[in-house]
Amino acid sequence: MLARVRHLHLKARHLTDALLMGEHRSKRVGQAIEFADYQEYLPGMDLRGLDWRVWGRTDRFVVKRFETETELPCAVVLDLSGDLTTGASGIKGYPDLDRSKAGYAITLAATLLYWLHRHGEPVGLELIAGDEVAFRSLPSRSGRNHLQLCFLMLASAKAGGVAGLAGALARVGEHVRRRSWVAVITDGMEEPGEWLGSLAAFSRRGADLRFFHLFDADEWALRFDRPALFYSPEGGEVLAVDPAGAQAAFAEVVDEYVEEVRGGVVKHGGRYFDTSTAQPLEHLLRRAILDQPSRAVTRR
Amino acid sequence: MSLGLLAPFSLVLAGLAALPVIAHLARQTPRDRMAFGAMLLLERVVKRLRRRRRIKDWFLLLLRVLALVLLALAAAGPRLTYPGGVPEFGGTGRVVIVIDRSMSMSLTEAGSTLLSRARDEGVRVLDQLPGGTQVGVVVFDEHAMALTSELTDDLDRARSLVRGIQPTHGVSDLKGGLHEARRLLGGEPGEVIVVSDEAGPVAVREARPELEALVELGSTVLPLTVKGEPPRNVAVTEASYGSGEEGGSLTLKLANYGPQSIEVACEVTLPDGQQIPIFADLPPEGEAAERLTIPQEALGGVGAAVCQDPDLPADDARYFHLPRVGASRVLVVDGDPGDTPTRSEVYFLERALAPWGGVKSGVAIDVTAPSGLASLDPEKHRVVFMANVADPRPFGPLLTEFVRKGGNLVITAGDNITAERYNAALGAILPAPFRKPRSLADREEQGVPLLLPTTDHPLFAAFSRSGRSAFASVRSHRILTLEAYKDRPDEVTTLLQYEGGAPALVERRIGAGRVLVWTSTVDWSWSNFPLQAAFMPSMQRLVHYLGGESGNGAARFEGIVGEPVRIPLPDLNVDPDVVGPDGSVVRSRMEGSQVVFTPERAGAYRLEIEDAAPLAWIAVNTNPVESDVRPYDTLAAVERELNPELFVRHADLSGGLLGFAFGALVLQALLALRRSS
Repeated sequence: MLARVRHLHLKARHLTDALLMGEHRSKRVGQAIEFADYQEYLPGMDLRGLDWRVWGRTDRFVVKRFETETELPCAVVLDLSGDLTTGASGIKGYPDLDRSKAGYAITLAATLLYWLHRHGEPVGLELIAGDEVAFRSLPSRSGRNHLQLCFLMLASAKAGGVAGLAGALARVGEHVRRRSWVAVITDGMEEPGEWLGSLAAFSRRGADLRFFHLFDADEWALRFDRPALFYSPEGGEVLAVDPAGAQAAFAEVVDEYVEEVRGGVVKHGGRYFDTSTAQPLEHLLRRAILDQPSRAVTRR
Repeated sequence: MSLGLLAPFSLVLAGLAALPVIAHLARQTPRDRMAFGAMLLLERVVKRLRRRRRIKDWFLLLLRVLALVLLALAAAGPRLTYPGGVPEFGGTGRVVIVIDRSMSMSLTEAGSTLLSRARDEGVRVLDQLPGGTQVGVVVFDEHAMALTSELTDDLDRARSLVRGIQPTHGVSDLKGGLHEARRLLGGEPGEVIVVSDEAGPVAVREARPELEALVELGSTVLPLTVKGEPPRNVAVTEASYGSGEEGGSLTLKLANYGPQSIEVACEVTLPDGQQIPIFADLPPEGEAAERLTIPQEALGGVGAAVCQDPDLPADDARYFHLPRVGASRVLVVDGDPGDTPTRSEVYFLERALAPWGGVKSGVAIDVTAPSGLASLDPEKHRVVFMANVADPRPFGPLLTEFVRKGGNLVITAGDNITAERYNAALGAILPAPFRKPRSLADREEQGVPLLLPTTDHPLFAAFSRSGRSAFASVRSHRILTLEAYKDRPDEVTTLLQYEGGAPALVERRIGAGRVLVWTSTVDWSWSNFPLQAAFMPSMQRLVHYLGGESGNGAARFEGIVGEPVRIPLPDLNVDPDVVGPDGSVVRSRMEGSQVVFTPERAGAYRLEIEDAAPLAWIAVNTNPVESDVRPYDTLAAVERELNPELFVRHADLSGGLLGFAFGALVLQALLALRRSS
């Protein structure tokens, strides 16, 4: 497990470094410092705060007090429902971080957490569905240990179960801190009409919502060789489908579905990112975090 | 309407329709299972495809089943049976074309007459007949006539005959036309094509027996109706003279056979050329009566009432008799104008003949002195009364000629009469030579009474029921005597006698003329006759008997176009001519004592001998029945009653069903191809 955590950590750091390359920004990027007032020195206070110029002029020990900008609490909401199991699995059934939908989602979440941590923001993690999960919710905190805890949570998680997006998103939205930065990573494979309304919980709390709509390009193109009985790992109806005959209609349905989800996200103040597992994560992150255009933004 | 099958067992093939159903239901389902992370979307797709495919597949299935069912039905030979409007034509090879050329076929619509359309129809039918067909051509108006003596295969000649048919003004004898057609068929079945307007209330009804005979013969009557859309016609159906103010009245009856009300302008032309315009409002399919006043003076003869109607001009004129009105037909020559009315013959004659005036009495008299006889007009005066005229010698030849040409002379006695002068002037026409007057009794006595007349004679026939006894009160005490004579039938007749045998009224016939001698006076100098009840009716009957009533100079007859007109002739030694409306002599023949002719057009005809007044006027009109151009019964309806089987039509549906089956097969193939692609 530790090896998996380390692997995840390295992957996240590598991606973050790639993002930060050439950016030339301070470690405390995003943290502005402004003078507020003076306070008489009391024993135990940090000596680094003493204003030596005031002591020289007045022989008094005063401590400069600075007003730091409000921290930007960040939270990553990760949907690990059963539908994300489709695709390749790694050792012991853990999702392959490179080839499966669940692995892509976990890597994306880890990278976001690491990147935010590197910018000194408190980060938190909310897991929706998933099996063998030690913690469901890690509130936003700073510190390396907290980040490691998040990584451990991600590394140990397996996709499974039913997301119940409507209830889960509403619950997370109610508890997220105000004006926080929230990334929701999900395949959204539940009726959009049922769960899109739950995004209102985030907008009500002034969150900066980034919605990563995860999908497998082959699945959404219905690229299969022969007719088969298709089923969902989350259960439900088994459908006999001839992919060749249904591709055209499926493409229509996908377009309608994407537009429906995109519209719902935008309606609630979020930013929508189509997140194909075939797309390099770096490109996605450039679009999502740095607002740089991706060179390859395709679903299929 | 009904549907039948020639080969019902072929419907077993319809069981094949189950095949596509079985194939439809037996589609295979895949066996491989595959986890899929976007089932939400796939469910949507499947729903959509199911919806589409459900419609498409069922439509496909329906098309295939339909194609097989249609094929099976086509193999079964379905035949549709339904009622037709006219019997089916063709097949016998024996065809008679019967064309109506009666007056109603002259109805004009859009610049052409119904007859021209009928001719075109007849030629069209002939053009469609296959070579070798035996054809006959019959035309009919009031008479039916076969234009071909028998059936012939010379279609060109038949076409030529049809094209040469001309309209007449007669009525429709449809019955006769069918009879001629049956005669041409010679008792064998055939097809009779009747091209007619079938108009009028009686033509089709009267033709029913002939139609029955043809149907019993196994023949088919195929009516080709040509008629106006809608039929319209205005006709003058009656014009009759009657009493009324001024010179009397003329009553016109007009009929509108069209569906719309109409105002027509008419003009009445009297025999003397006077014209009287009138306007009439006619309701839709209704009649109107117009009455107009005849002037106080008008010549007698035949007048015409003409209304403007562009649809059927042939019946727009109605000819009517008009008596001579307002002008005298009796001339009284006053030989002894008395110093008082009671001593004047004219006074009593005027009171007797025209007690309410000339116009109302129907007898108007002209009075003249003897010198007025010089201008005697036989056309104007039919009766001349010589009332106690002293000397007729200056006018002897004139009066003799007058009588010989049909005039009537009445001589009444009196003190001025001189037998020698009369015998010298009129001896050739008197019943017997005159002798001197003689007294029958003293003036103070009552005189000798008349014997009662025999009512066998037309002059006294009117007294047969009453009034005859009044003659017994007539007494005369002085009379003009005649030389001895004997009654000779049809020449000299003693009409009245006094007791004792003295003649009172003696008649002599000379050709169409008559001379009557009243041996006493018509004032009360010799007789009390003018004061007796018998006087006035006797004088009026006398004038009537002699044709002296207004307009009674010539006999009046009515005639219908196309129907023989029979006119009884007086005893004449010469054959009279019948002169038509255009002044030309019309062909006529003698049948016993009757002149018979058949007018071909309406108008005023007259019977006359050369250099003499017309003997008779004949007002010839079209038959009002023919003016009614509205449809009543139809041949097709009557024939359907007689034999409904003739109207049954059959249609073979196999070809159509095969076509539909082929179409369904092609359509399903296209759909299946599109689906598989």
